[in-house]
Amino acid sequence: MTLSAHQRLVAAWFTLSAITLVAWSIGASHGRGPIEPDAAVAFSAIAITLIKVRVIIREFMDVRHAPARLRWITDGWLASFGLAMLLAYFA
Amino acid sequence: MTVAALAQETAPQPPASSLGKLAWQWRHNPKLELWLSWYTILVFYNVFGIVFFGITRTQPPPKAWWDLPKIVWWFHDKGWGLLVGFGIIFVMGAFATASTALITYSIRRMSVSPAFAWSYLILYSLAAVPGMLLTCIALVTGAMRPDRDPRLMGLLYDMGFLSFSGTMGIFLIGSVVWGVAILLDENAILPKWFGYFNICNALTEVVVATCCVLKSGPFAWDGVIAFYINMVVFGIYTGLFITYLRKMIEREDMDSPQVRGIR
Amino acid sequence: MTEVARARPTSSDDGQERMPGQSDMWVLVMIEAITFSSYFVVYTIYYCRSAEAFLRSQSQLDLALGVINTLILLASSWSVARCVERARAGDHRAATRNLALTAGGGLLFAALKLHEWSVEIGRGNFFSTDEFFSFYYFLTGMHLLHVLVGFIALGVVYYQLKSPARRSLEVIETGATFWHMVDFLWVIIFALLYVMR
Repeated sequence: MTLSAHQRLVAAWFTLSAITLVAWSIGASHGRGPIEPDAAVAFSAIAITLIKVRVIIREFMDVRHAPARLRWITDGWLASFGLAMLLAYFA
Repeated sequence: MTVAALAQETAPQPPASSLGKLAWQWRHNPKLELWLSWYTILVFYNVFGIVFFGITRTQPPPKAWWDLPKIVWWFHDKGWGLLVGFGIIFVMGAFATASTALITYSIRRMSVSPAFAWSYLILYSLAAVPGMLLTCIALVTGAMRPDRDPRLMGLLYDMGFLSFSGTMGIFLIGSVVWGVAILLDENAILPKWFGYFNICNALTEVVVATCCVLKSGPFAWDGVIAFYINMVVFGIYTGLFITYLRKMIEREDMDSPQVRGIR
Repeated sequence: MTEVARARPTSSDDGQERMPGQSDMWVLVMIEAITFSSYFVVYTIYYCRSAEAFLRSQSQLDLALGVINTLILLASSWSVARCVERARAGDHRAATRNLALTAGGGLLFAALKLHEWSVEIGRGNFFSTDEFFSFYYFLTGMHLLHVLVGFIALGVVYYQLKSPARRSLEVIETGATFWHMVDFLWVIIFALLYVMR
């Protein structure tokens, strides 16, 4: 099913908002007592963020149709940033 | 036929020897003043780097949270470096004006209102006072007689480093003025991405405001964010503007009506 | 230096490659992305050093407010993307309506941010209270500064859309690109300050 440009934008926005609510439920402590560091939560937060930023760049910023160099540069930044964050947290 | 072209045509050919070539440039190169300014900028920033990082060791800055005994020790330890290094700055510091002049020239060449050029000129003419000289004066005063009351030494130490880091405001506004001028310019004097880089530089320099509040951690005047990351951006910015001013001079046609119009 | 005029297709799904907006703006986007990335990595390192203290302070933040702000900015990003899409289709009135939505979202975000700050200050949490709050005010403050610059970008887009003599699609896309950057920077800030532990 090919979406029109408008439908694609709405789908992207919907996905991003839904993922944000997922992040909210992960982040909320649900009254389980004092908040403690949680590697699973940290990893999910970072992973979710990388996905969200990539969707914004590819769909909203239209990098999907951009020259290959821009696609590589944005993906390259996202990947190195993700790696740096994981190293900073886990190493 | 323009006067300059006539002069060039009737000028003798440059001699073969390098000294002869330099003399020929001095007498016949229409861009002489521009090149003199540019090389002065190069000399100034190299001297600046050697003095601040090598001789005085004031960059990277010492800790903001040190107590008075440690501060007094620092003045004793760095004494001669401070006196000699900043003595050099007192003599040569005015070379910084070449940078202001050349950048102002670049803005005058743009299609934007001269108000941009005059604002930049005024801002940066004043900028060196808090941005560099106040630091030199405060720290040299401390180094000259380091056996003063420790509280006075502490005052001079704070004044020196806060003025260097904390007065970035003038520089960041200058960056905004130059950046906006480049973005609005229709004569393509400097590339648009460099105009945006000026905006980035300005936004990054906002970070130094935190030094006035915090004495330790990443937001102190010696902090990772307020100093190191900020300096990386500023260092790249400085290298870029020196490079692009050179390219601008190389491209300049001194006989064109636009250039003659602003003389 | 003249730029080769590029024919702008009306649909964005025709398989052709083109640069979204001026490539110069992308230089700014990448520089800001890398600079902020360094701030985020520094934050994470400081967090790991004093996790308990950071978490105690983090618990004072209102996660719901953070989520609302994220949803608002995502919606404003959608509306500015829609503005570009409508401008491409030649429907400039719809484009202007979407631009107004974007600006409205930005204003709402700024207002909520100021409200959140006033709540935290009311609780006695200042910039100098502890390291977590230094980072909190610094990151959200720097971001708000970018939102304010974003309003200037939106203003330039509005100026383009207003008169038929202008309406440069490239400038409109360039302004939108800046706004999207503001959005994705916030997405990361939200994850670090509000969610990550």
